[in-house]
Amino acid sequence: MFVGATNSFAQAKRLVVLKVDGLPYSILDRSVQERNPRTGKSQLPWIEHVFYQRGARLRNFYVRGMSLSAPSWSLLDTGQHLQVKGNVEFDRYTLHTYDYLNFIPFYFKNAEGSRIDMPGAELLDALGLPLLCDAFPHDERYISFQLYQRGMRFATLRDGLKNRFVKNPRELLDEWTMGLQTRSVFFEQLEKELIQSLDNPKIRYLDLYISNFDHVAHHNRDRDSQMMELREMDSLVGRIWTAIANSSLAADTAFVMVSDHGFNTDEKIYSQGYNLVKLLGSRKGGGHHVITKRHLLLDYSLKGVNFMVPLITTTTDDSYYLKGQSTSYPTVLLDFDGNERASIHLRDNDLNLLQILLQHLQRNKLPDPVRRAATDAFFATVERRRVGWQKHLNELNEELVALRSRIQDQRKLWEAQPKNFTRREIELGYDDQKKRVFAQLEKSIGQEKIYSEYGRTLAGLLALKQESFAPLKLKLEDLIAKQAMGERNSIYQLQNYIVGEAPDGLQLRADGSLDGEKSFARVDYFALLHNITVRNNVQPAVSNRPIDLVANRIPSSQIKHLVHEEGLTADVIWVNGGGDKQALILAREDAKGNLSFRYLPIKGLTQDALGGFHFEMIAWQRDLPLRIFEDEQLIIPRGEDRAAWLSEWHTDLEWLHALHLTKYSNGIVGLYEELAYHRNPRLDLDEPGISPEEQLNRRFTQRQRNLAEADLLVVASNHWNFDVRGFNPGGNHGSFLRVSTHSTFMLAGGDKTQLPRGVIIDEPYDSLSFMPTMLALTGNLRDDKTPLPVLWSKGFRRFPGRLVKEVLPATPGKDPIAVTGASPTH
Amino acid sequence: MRPVETTRRGQVSEQQRSRIGHLKEARKLLQFAKDYIQMGPQPRRGLRNKSHLSELLLTFLLVFSQITQLKVTAQTLSENSTPSAAAVVPTSTEKLFRLERLPIAGGAELISIHAQLQGPAQNNREWTPLVSILRDTLGDSDPENDRLRYLWPLTYTRPGLAQRLAGAVPFWYTRAGNKPTGSRKTPPPVIDLSAPEKQAWEKIFWTALQTVLLDSYGMPIKASSYTYRRNLSEYRRSQVVRALSVLSLYQAVGGAPAFSEAEMSEIQSRLLLTDKTFGGLVDDHHLQRYYERQVTSVRDERGHNWELLRQRAEAESLIFEPLEMPDGSTTHAMLWIAKDELGTKRKQTYDERFLNISDPRSDNRLKNWNGHTETRFYDSENRVVAANTAGAHPVEMIPLALYGLDNPKIPMLLVDFRDSFNPKKREMSRRVLQDVTRNFVSLSGAGGVAFFLGRTVFDFVTARRGMDINQPSRLRTYSQLKLLLALNNSLEPELKSQIDARLNRVSVNPLENDLNTEVELAHEQYQALKAYAVRPDGLAAKLDRDRREEMVRLKHGKAEQVLFRLANILSFGAYTHREKASPEIRSRLDLARRITYHTRFLHQVAKSSARVEVVWNLDEVRRSLQFIADYGAEVGPSATHAAATIFLRTEDDETRRVCLASLSRIQNESAKAELLRISRDSRLDLVWKERVLSYLNKPHPASPTAAAADKSRAERFGQQ
Repeated sequence: MFVGATNSFAQAKRLVVLKVDGLPYSILDRSVQERNPRTGKSQLPWIEHVFYQRGARLRNFYVRGMSLSAPSWSLLDTGQHLQVKGNVEFDRYTLHTYDYLNFIPFYFKNAEGSRIDMPGAELLDALGLPLLCDAFPHDERYISFQLYQRGMRFATLRDGLKNRFVKNPRELLDEWTMGLQTRSVFFEQLEKELIQSLDNPKIRYLDLYISNFDHVAHHNRDRDSQMMELREMDSLVGRIWTAIANSSLAADTAFVMVSDHGFNTDEKIYSQGYNLVKLLGSRKGGGHHVITKRHLLLDYSLKGVNFMVPLITTTTDDSYYLKGQSTSYPTVLLDFDGNERASIHLRDNDLNLLQILLQHLQRNKLPDPVRRAATDAFFATVERRRVGWQKHLNELNEELVALRSRIQDQRKLWEAQPKNFTRREIELGYDDQKKRVFAQLEKSIGQEKIYSEYGRTLAGLLALKQESFAPLKLKLEDLIAKQAMGERNSIYQLQNYIVGEAPDGLQLRADGSLDGEKSFARVDYFALLHNITVRNNVQPAVSNRPIDLVANRIPSSQIKHLVHEEGLTADVIWVNGGGDKQALILAREDAKGNLSFRYLPIKGLTQDALGGFHFEMIAWQRDLPLRIFEDEQLIIPRGEDRAAWLSEWHTDLEWLHALHLTKYSNGIVGLYEELAYHRNPRLDLDEPGISPEEQLNRRFTQRQRNLAEADLLVVASNHWNFDVRGFNPGGNHGSFLRVSTHSTFMLAGGDKTQLPRGVIIDEPYDSLSFMPTMLALTGNLRDDKTPLPVLWSKGFRRFPGRLVKEVLPATPGKDPIAVTGASPTH
Repeated sequence: MRPVETTRRGQVSEQQRSRIGHLKEARKLLQFAKDYIQMGPQPRRGLRNKSHLSELLLTFLLVFSQITQLKVTAQTLSENSTPSAAAVVPTSTEKLFRLERLPIAGGAELISIHAQLQGPAQNNREWTPLVSILRDTLGDSDPENDRLRYLWPLTYTRPGLAQRLAGAVPFWYTRAGNKPTGSRKTPPPVIDLSAPEKQAWEKIFWTALQTVLLDSYGMPIKASSYTYRRNLSEYRRSQVVRALSVLSLYQAVGGAPAFSEAEMSEIQSRLLLTDKTFGGLVDDHHLQRYYERQVTSVRDERGHNWELLRQRAEAESLIFEPLEMPDGSTTHAMLWIAKDELGTKRKQTYDERFLNISDPRSDNRLKNWNGHTETRFYDSENRVVAANTAGAHPVEMIPLALYGLDNPKIPMLLVDFRDSFNPKKREMSRRVLQDVTRNFVSLSGAGGVAFFLGRTVFDFVTARRGMDINQPSRLRTYSQLKLLLALNNSLEPELKSQIDARLNRVSVNPLENDLNTEVELAHEQYQALKAYAVRPDGLAAKLDRDRREEMVRLKHGKAEQVLFRLANILSFGAYTHREKASPEIRSRLDLARRITYHTRFLHQVAKSSARVEVVWNLDEVRRSLQFIADYGAEVGPSATHAAATIFLRTEDDETRRVCLASLSRIQNESAKAELLRISRDSRLDLVWKERVLSYLNKPHPASPTAAAADKSRAERFGQQ
């Protein structure tokens, strides 16, 4: 009955999604409005024709979270709260890297059979979050190459190359003379395949991912270069639209163009880079050996030709205590991809302390008093951390037992897989399923090995006894895991981070104990980052301070008594704008999962060694993080006092309405989305009926996600970036600035889709709205939030985002979606 | 049209002195060349002897080159020229550029861009002609039959005797003075835009000649001819770059429209393609796209280099100053050091990579610096502010280096204020390598696998790591810098003068002239060009010959055309087949050009959009289709294909009808094939299918419009 009811409103039988990486709505709109002097038509005539005249466009569509490709596409493609927090993520225990953007290693691994899906899709599978394309059977979809790619078609690569090189010799000579454009080889082939697939009425979902605009806008700030790419895209829209119009399902097809983020590019300004790797490697930055997943100055290095991209270690000569040990003991992991932000992992500071002390204790000529004090300090540190570490170790060991059992099961499953598949079975994707079994098995075996290794080392450290302690007989790597960051640092640790021994060496107090304050060189990373200035300030619109803000997640349990608030979610976001300009973002969640936020201006937040937080609440004023108070674009209810309204709790929707036109658009919600933990219903440990083993597996998956959490999120000032792989003078994204988060979402469809025509939607929406809207459009939602049973069984769950109701087919006087009131009972 | 006159009073003695100097220099060069040939390495001697000899020669030449550089002195520029009021087209950017049009008898116009330049040794700015382009209009104002022909960068000249001799001396890596001014010879064009393929064939011919013939005459001939050709080609390239920069700049600052957008991209892409061996053969259809890509690529490189240099300056605590062209684009940048920071020790060691200059902090030359310095004022955020700004602090700065930003990979060092030889060394390094391997060791890419591999690895490594020893684009950046010096107002005259002096020393091409001479040459050559343009046996006659050459393809088949081309090449250009001019054939030329114009447009329309009416103005499309329909008998398969494609890509009945009319009147097999293809299209409805079939079955009569137009055209050309 539900299905019938829903279908009566669901009009689009086919969905064609053009996924454009980094297409800012503002630039697109400006270009569409501009007239070509020769023809009198728009500079982007097809986009005007399809989406402006025959479709609907959202004038205020924003990224929820960071304006960064991997996180943002994950939001669009799953419709669930953010789980992927960067383009690259590192596991703190094992340095396993989640490199979501790197296609080439995936192609190689796919060719050898060890991987079937891109790392992003693989991770979302592990988290139980299906993609939009998963809503459609394998033989009813055409998926292009993209970040969250399923499967791989080498025939596309082969045919692309063939089309490029097997042609009229004259044409080939011309192309060779002008410079072969290899980048377009595969895009052209993918387009060709998509257009061919439109002829097949069975295929109901098609997507095409293109990234040329993003690529050019990173490099070129000039309008001509960007316009050239926009015109290419416009022609593509025309070709797809014409192919749709010529297809048998034309009337039932909805054509959608969506982008993952905007772009901070300005024709008059070069985006300036700041090298955080160098800062962190310097003496004042802590003398760290820094690991990145991108080569520094990639295009200028011979090693950069290595497509498989191992972990890149930048060794420093300024290390305080780890000289020559960069590959064994890196102490910083840095993800700068996206460039207007960087995530920094610093090694658990107590591991630094233990290693420094152990290095001392392994010296033969250490004076006895110092040896005693150092030994005491060593064991005091271990004892201070024992409870936490032991808990993690115990849990990890339990999870590894479950993992081993799962490996056995997986192995059996793999062995039971058929060797050959019929043509029909291949169409249905059975061969891919088989490869997925193998990939999962491989992955699990690898995880078992590396986590066990880490566990063994931690166990070794915890097993040390002071009474039998013989440091000279110990091997450091048996106690302090190599290539591991350990647990995430507290705010106290980040404000007092031990980077090495003090210039005068270890100092004792009068009572013979080690004077921790005087013995170690420390860095306050918040002060360090905020105090960076540059000498060459040559562009009027660019500040000489590269860092705009630094943000961290703090457990609300540690802070709620200071803010006098009840019912907070588990996380509070501390946003540090430098000096006395700070804020806390507090959140609450109601029974339906709706979020509310409060922005609390504060100053001087510190954490003491015992974990206590201290700060002072301050009044709303100018120059607070996200610069909301002074923003003329802030929209609050008429008659309301600005400070009073801003001081209150508001739902995420209310904040979106109020903030979306401001300089930082939806920064409050975005920062929370990026930094907080989001409950994933598919990993609910308390779900009734799950086995203890499944519970452990879910906990292990959650742990892995938690281990990818960085210590610091550093956000660049306007027109600054942290790219060190090369240079991105054209522009960047990644921040919460409106220019970077303001994205594109447009739709147009055949007559039967009943999509509105010539409609501009001013209501602001964010990325979470995309997926449910797509499912509603194709009749896959049973109400505003809940997927149909068939999708529920595939793992789709209730969506937290709002539907873009303005685009959904409606009959006069009726709610556009068949709201059944049913609740999921699966 | 009154010719523009330029007066150069008070300069005669200077010029005479200059000429005497050049004559002496030329004599020395001749003597040197004689000696060189006499002592030239014996081809049968071993490699070791060759290397030894080459080392000696190289050392000698390097020493010699430094001495000759000392002779280069600044020259006084000519006084302001006074343009004819009638000839001047006022522009919105009158302060910087102006345009001059000179009608040519026989139906053409000479369009010249003048810029207000300031030479380094001058205080006053003056209008200087920089680029002239000939547009053949066939005597009417209709752009459809226009052809762009010759392009003259007016600073480009035939080298003087001394320059030519020096240009043929291997390992002569320095300028050989200036070309004596005062000549009234017509300047040489760098390209014939209507026949770019000529250059490609010439290149291929000369390469073959060099390899097959000249190389076999032993090292002296081989090395000299190769060196001379290379110098000539690079000199020409540098002038092409200058012309490109002028055109881009003129376009960017929004000068009076001299050329349509399509013409501008044609000119620029053809100039860009002169760099490539087969560039002249590239189809016109690709030009727009190629030009756009090149623009993107150059701006990409510029931005990267801007940022790379800023970051490196920041890392070394140097002061970075971008230098802007008048359109706001930053093509060069300077590095400075604060004087009070000299001698201070920094924690980190100086990293020379990418900057390619020695550590300034430990440089004693800077401690006793008596060259140019500047004092600037900075606020608390390190912005340059006026001296009287509250809180501003002064910084006395010493210039260290000047870099070009428009080249791949890294900023290119053009001027090292402490070590003039430094950029020259880098400039020379690649040439030395090439010259030694090619002229002495007789290795070439095709000569041996080992050399080929070694060279490939060397090129890959140096290019990948961005080492400043392998920069074929240095030429471009030098040319731009010369333009920048002439146009940039922000540089102090003293600094400008110092840069220019150093730049002249860096040049490794004996055929190059210094900036002052170039300005003078530009004036002279422009006068000569204008005189040539108004002479009955001058430009008008040349234009007539070119048109008659263009008519060959209207009268002869492909095989004959190939034979004529071959005869032209083998006779070293002495024989060129041309048709006899007649009103009939001129009328056909006019028609052929128009057909080309409309065909190119229709081809663009057909290729660009899945549905024509969404993107294009259908009136314009129909007009072109109608033209094709009117002259169906004359058009080729390209127009046929375009018309058929447009038919399938439009839903506009009228446009479809004209498409079919065009196809039916085109008298060739491809038109029939296209009609058949359309008739078989499954998406076509029955009414249209029937119409297509009716067109297929009965031939369409010739267009009455065309007959009338033919008559009027023939009459017009008959009168002419």
